[in-house]
Amino acid sequence: MSITRKTAVVGIGETPTDRLGGKPGEPRKSTAEYLAWAARLAMEDAGLTKKDFDGQGLAAIYTTNHSQPFWPEEVAAILGITPAVSLAGGNGGASSVSLLGHAAAAITAGLCDLVLVIAAAAPFSEHGGHRGATADTRDYEMPFGVMGPNCKISFVMSRYMHESGMTEEHFGKIAVTGRYHASLNPNAYLRKPITIEDYKKSRLISDPIRLLDCVLPANGGKAYIMTSAERAKSMRKPPVYLLGWGECNNASVGPRYRANPLITGITQAGKRAFEMSGVSHKDIRCLNLYDDYIPIVMIQIEDLGFCGRNDKGFFEKTDFTFKGDLPIQTSGGMINCGQPSTTGGMLHVIETVRQIRGEAGARQVPNIKFGISTGVGAVNYGKNFGCTAAAILGNEA
Amino acid sequence: MAETAKEISKPLPEITPVNQPFWDGARAGKLMMQKCADCGTWVFCPRPVCGDCSSATLNWLQLSGKGKIFSFTVIREVVGHALRGFAPDIPYVTAWIDLDEGPRFCSNIIGCPVDKVKIDMDVQVVFEDGGNGVTLPKFKPR
Repeated sequence: MSITRKTAVVGIGETPTDRLGGKPGEPRKSTAEYLAWAARLAMEDAGLTKKDFDGQGLAAIYTTNHSQPFWPEEVAAILGITPAVSLAGGNGGASSVSLLGHAAAAITAGLCDLVLVIAAAAPFSEHGGHRGATADTRDYEMPFGVMGPNCKISFVMSRYMHESGMTEEHFGKIAVTGRYHASLNPNAYLRKPITIEDYKKSRLISDPIRLLDCVLPANGGKAYIMTSAERAKSMRKPPVYLLGWGECNNASVGPRYRANPLITGITQAGKRAFEMSGVSHKDIRCLNLYDDYIPIVMIQIEDLGFCGRNDKGFFEKTDFTFKGDLPIQTSGGMINCGQPSTTGGMLHVIETVRQIRGEAGARQVPNIKFGISTGVGAVNYGKNFGCTAAAILGNEA
Repeated sequence: MAETAKEISKPLPEITPVNQPFWDGARAGKLMMQKCADCGTWVFCPRPVCGDCSSATLNWLQLSGKGKIFSFTVIREVVGHALRGFAPDIPYVTAWIDLDEGPRFCSNIIGCPVDKVKIDMDVQVVFEDGGNGVTLPKFKPR
């Protein structure tokens, strides 16, 4: 039994992102408020109410400051619903894409016929909470002054530049494209267009990572709703079907004690998604790739097989804008729309749904039928991502 | 009372039964890592069982301390309250070092101007006092 073409996304909800609480005296909102808000928006979009979710599926994503083991139940309590199938997202930033497959499996198996997938976080408004480092980070990175993901991804970027010969021009082009799309997205947070010169002049945080390579932490909530392909036909919005899906955790190219960090689990997750979908690369018109950092977007384009390894020429000649050869990051990405902890990655599911529905306004990709979304999470010691997932969505079952 | 940079301590490892031989070794001037007695793979960071074959028979062996820089970064900013003790050291280099025997180790490159550090540079371990009885293996060009 395959999950391909058996389910569809029929509702999306996205609160505005903000950074309230970052400065003294600013008003604050709690995670619970963003959760309730995102759920309401997704239900309105789908033409459903809370009552429809009693006895159905709820998938709650753990965030960095809410990782207590009963989080899915607490989310149900916050939302005031009584689920019959409880799923959880424990793959960090990959969770939103992972849960497309897990929710589809639950629906296809007949456990339920609706799943609400939801996440929210308010790191600026709710200080403290649990942000535990792994033992490896605590014992073998922090004592040497490793400054979290900025530093760890700079190891990846530095090696990537060494092996590929990519320069600031290549990274800058991706940053400029993302901001251009953000300038056309009313939901984006950073909307003022930038130039490659702006990118090059942005300050170095951890060489070669610059400020404009980095994701923007934020508060916010997001949700999507899935149902069976059958039920989707009678819903308010055009169904966006799950055609292909793949996940890969603990990938290691080469020995585990010395893995190649320039090839991620997206290689395997993406291959599974393409095989399941039967869709070819040339028919994918929109790539919404997890973007904690600019070089990670480029490595995933390679991982997914849209170009070869270290293919500088491809990055130079391709127009990545929404009207171009291979549109990427059409929402502007988390780098410009904000990353409310592990909620951030849901942006890339929501944007692919918007594009396929034809709801993307000024940044609408013309003639789009198929798009791909990815998620990654956990930057492991001496290597790259621990969690990866990819999903291909389309307008026909 | 305002704290001065000098008073702010840096984070130190939590010594556990699993990782203790590594930190005991460092204090004695030895770089120690685990190797699986059953499948022969190196295991690092320290683990109770092999990450490849799940064997619980892991031997601690001394490494030469020689290696090459696989990748590195120059830290320009403190990110996070827990790491503010590093502020006086900025700019400094953290690197992934591929040790001659195989494992990759994350540490600092010292004894070299930050703008002279290069990928593929040959390096050698040196042991530095980290305070509170902890010795940190760091690396310098050789």
